[in-house]
Amino acid sequence: MLFQAILNGILFGAVYVCIGMGFSLVWGVMNIINLAHGSFIMLGAYITYTLFTYLKIDPFLTLPISMLALYFIGYASQKYLLNYIIRASIFITLTFTFGLQILIANVALLIWSADFKSAAPGYSGEGIVLGGLVLPYIRCAIFIVALILTYLFYLLMARTKTGKAINATALNLEGAKTVGVDVAEIYARTMGISAALGGAAGALISPIMTINPFIGGHLVGKAFVVAILGGLGGTMGSFAGGMALGLAEQVGSLFFSSGYQEAIGFIVLVLVLIFRPQGIVGKRFY
Amino acid sequence: MIKLQNRTYKIILLIALLVCILFPSIASGFWIRLLTSIFLYAILAQGLNIIAGFTGYAAFGNMIFFGLGAYTVGILMVKAGISFFPSLIAAAAVGIIVAILIGLPLLRLKGHYFALASLGAAEAVRQIMDNLIGLCGGAMGLTLPQMAGKPAQVNLYFYYLIFSLLLISFAATYAISKNRLGYALKAIKANEEAADAMGINTTLYKIVAWAISGLFTAMAGAIHAYWFTFIEPATVFDVMIVVKLFVILLLGGAGTVMGPLYGAFIFEGISEIVWSRFLNLHMGILGILVILIVFFIPNGLIDMVRRGFRLKTILDTIREEKV
Amino acid sequence: MTREPILTGTNVSKHFGALKALDDVHFELYGGEILGIIGPNGAGKTTLLSVINGTLPITRGRIFLKGKEITGLRPFRIAERGVSRTFQIVKPFPGMTALENVAIGALFGREREKKMSRAMEKAAETIGKVALKGKENILVEKLNVSERKRLELARALTQDPEILLLDEVMAGLTLREIEDIMALIQEVNRGGMTIMVIEHVMKAIMGISNRIIVLHHGQKIAEGTPDEISENRQVIAAYLGERYSKKLEETSHAGD
Repeated sequence: MLFQAILNGILFGAVYVCIGMGFSLVWGVMNIINLAHGSFIMLGAYITYTLFTYLKIDPFLTLPISMLALYFIGYASQKYLLNYIIRASIFITLTFTFGLQILIANVALLIWSADFKSAAPGYSGEGIVLGGLVLPYIRCAIFIVALILTYLFYLLMARTKTGKAINATALNLEGAKTVGVDVAEIYARTMGISAALGGAAGALISPIMTINPFIGGHLVGKAFVVAILGGLGGTMGSFAGGMALGLAEQVGSLFFSSGYQEAIGFIVLVLVLIFRPQGIVGKRFY
Repeated sequence: MIKLQNRTYKIILLIALLVCILFPSIASGFWIRLLTSIFLYAILAQGLNIIAGFTGYAAFGNMIFFGLGAYTVGILMVKAGISFFPSLIAAAAVGIIVAILIGLPLLRLKGHYFALASLGAAEAVRQIMDNLIGLCGGAMGLTLPQMAGKPAQVNLYFYYLIFSLLLISFAATYAISKNRLGYALKAIKANEEAADAMGINTTLYKIVAWAISGLFTAMAGAIHAYWFTFIEPATVFDVMIVVKLFVILLLGGAGTVMGPLYGAFIFEGISEIVWSRFLNLHMGILGILVILIVFFIPNGLIDMVRRGFRLKTILDTIREEKV
Repeated sequence: MTREPILTGTNVSKHFGALKALDDVHFELYGGEILGIIGPNGAGKTTLLSVINGTLPITRGRIFLKGKEITGLRPFRIAERGVSRTFQIVKPFPGMTALENVAIGALFGREREKKMSRAMEKAAETIGKVALKGKENILVEKLNVSERKRLELARALTQDPEILLLDEVMAGLTLREIEDIMALIQEVNRGGMTIMVIEHVMKAIMGISNRIIVLHHGQKIAEGTPDEISENRQVIAAYLGERYSKKLEETSHAGD
C-alpha cells in the first residue's frame, strides 16, 4: 500500500512539477503571482484535446504545439499588458491576473463549451505491473516527459543567453538594465516561457484529467503550493516542490479521508509560509 | 475638474442619506433588493478596505469572516433555537475572535504571502465546513428559519437593517481615518519598518485593523444568512466575491472612506446590466473591466475625479508603473 | 554631562552569515553629549544604530538604556522609551503629506500625543525648524532629496526623544543647509537631547561632537575627542591607507 502510494506520489508529483515550474519562474523573476497561469494550463490542455479529437494525434506529440501557442500568448500578455503595471502594488497585479484568468476562461467557454472533456488515447487504461506495483503507461510517459522538460528548462536557464539575462534581471533589476539588458523584452520572454511550460503541463494532464474552462483556479492553487514548498524561481525548487506535493497528497490520502485533504494541505502550506518561507530547497535561483 | 467644496459635499451626502431612508416608500421590491445588495457589497468592501486599503494587507481570505458569521447565525438559530439578534451579536464576536486568532500567525507575512495564506485559511475553513454535515449540513447547506411577515415587510426590514450596518461601518471607518489608529495604519502601509521605528506597535494595530474588518464582515454574513435563509460553504466562502470586492475598491478608491460605496454602486450597476443581457459573457466582461480599471484608474474614481479626467493623468499613471 | 552613561552596549556583534558587520563593540553614551560615529563605508555604523533601535536583531551582546536592558526589543518599544532615529536611506511615508509624516512622529514614540490637532501643531513647529515651512501640504513623493532628509529629521525630532540617533542626515545637503542643521542639532542638544550621530561630512561631525567613536570593519578602533581622533594613526590608516599614515608619521618625526 505504502509503496504504491509513494510510487503514485512520484508519478503525480511529476505533473505538479510541470504545473508549478512556470508559475514559480514568473513569481521569482518578476514578483508577479500570475493567477492566469491556471488558464494557460487549461488552454494547453484544450489545444491538445482539439488536436487529439479532430486530427487524432497523440497528446504527447502535440505537446510542442501547445507550448508554442502558449509561448506567444504569454509573451504578448506580458509585453502589451503586464509590463505596464508591473510596478504597481500587489493588490493591483493580483486582481489584474485574476481578471485575465476569468477572461481567458470565458473565451475558452465560448470556444469549447462547458462540457467536461478529456484526451484519453487508446492505451490510457493500461499499464504494467512490476513486483506488485502498478505502473500505468500514461503516468510513466508523463513522468519521463516531465523529467525531460525539467532538464530542458534547466539548460535554458543555465546555458542560453536568454536564460542568463533572465537570471541577471531577477537578481538585480537595475544592474541588468545598466549592462544593457532589455528588461521589458526579457520579462516578456520569461512570461512566454512560463506560459509554454503551462501549455506543456496542460498537454500532459489532458489524458488523465477531465478538463473544463474553469479548472484554472484549482490548478493555480496547486502551482502556488509547489512554488511555496519548493522555493521560488529555481528548477530544483520546483522539482522538489512538485514531488513533495505529490507525495504528501498520495501518502496523506492513506491516513486522512479525502474530505479534509485540501484543508490539511492548506494548513501545512500556511505553516511552511510562516516557518520556512524560503521553501524546501531554500535558495533563490540556480 | 469637479472640485467639490467640503460644505457642498456634506450637503450632497445628507441628501443622499435622506433619499436612502425614504427610498423604500417609493420603490418596488426589485429596486429595494438591488439597493440592499449594493449596500451589502459596500459593507464587505469597506471591511476589506480597512485591512487592505488602509493597512496594506491584501486579505484575499476575508470571506472567512463572512462565512463564519453566516454559519454562527445559522447554527445558533437552527440548532440552538436562539433568535436572530443575539445570534448576530455572537457572529460579531466570532468575527473579532477569528481575526485575532488567524491574525497573530498570518499578519507577520508580507505582500503576496499574506494574501495567499489568508486565502488558504479561508479555503481550509470552507472545506472543513463542507464536511461538518451533522452540525450544519456540510456541503449541502443549511436552511434558516424564515422571518415572519409579508415579503414586502421582510424586504423593508432587511433594507433598513443592512443600511444601518452600512452607516455604522462607514461612520467607524471615517472616525478611524481621522484618528491615531487610521494614521498608524496608513503609516504601516506606507513603510512598515519606519512605522515600527517611530513607535507604532505594528502587530497590535494590524490585528486591530483585521478585527474591525472581521467584525463588519461577519455581521454582514450574519445578516445575509438570515436574509437569504439558505447558506452553503461554496457561496459564503466564495473567493470570487473577494475578487469583486477588490475590483470595487479599485473602482472607488482604496484607502478612502466613501470609495467602497461608490465602487459598489458602479460595480453592481454594471453587473445588473451585464447579467441581464450578456449572461454568457459576464465573466469575460468582468475580466476586461478589471483589466481596464487596473490600467486606467488604479487609484480609483475618487482620485480620478480629484485629479481631472485628462488623458495626461492617465498616461502619467501608466508611465509610473511601467517596467 | 552626567557620568552615568544613559546608553551602553557591551560585546555588540551583528553577523550576516559569515560577514561580521559588528564585532564585539563596546560603547557608552552619556546624557547630554553629542557622540559622533565615523568610519569608512561598510564599517558597521548604520548597523550599530539599527541594532540599538531594534530594527536589526542583535547576534550577540547586550544594550542597556538607563540601566535597563533593551536588547532584542521591538523598535516601537525602544521608540516608546525615548530613542528615535533617522534612516540613512530615508523612509518617508508615501501617500501622505509632509505634515502628516511629521505628525506620525508626534502621535507615537515617547510623547505619544493623543489629540490629532496637538500632533499637527507640534509637527508644524518642527517643520518650521528644518526650514520646510510652506511645504506642509505637499505629498512627500514630490519633495526632493534634501527636503526628504530634513523631513526625516523633523519626524524624529517631533518625538522629543531623550536620545536621537542620526544616520548621515547631512548627506545631500548644501553647505548652507549643513550649517543650519548643525545649528539645529546643537540647539536641541542644549535643550537636553542626547545625540548619537553618524556622518561622513567631517567638518560637520568634528564640529559638533563632544566625543567620537571610530569603527572599521565592524570593530571600534578608536575613541576620544575630535582632536585626539584626528591625530590617531589607526584612524588615519583606516581612511587613507597604511602607506599614507606611515608617511605622515615619518614626516612628523622628521620634524623633531
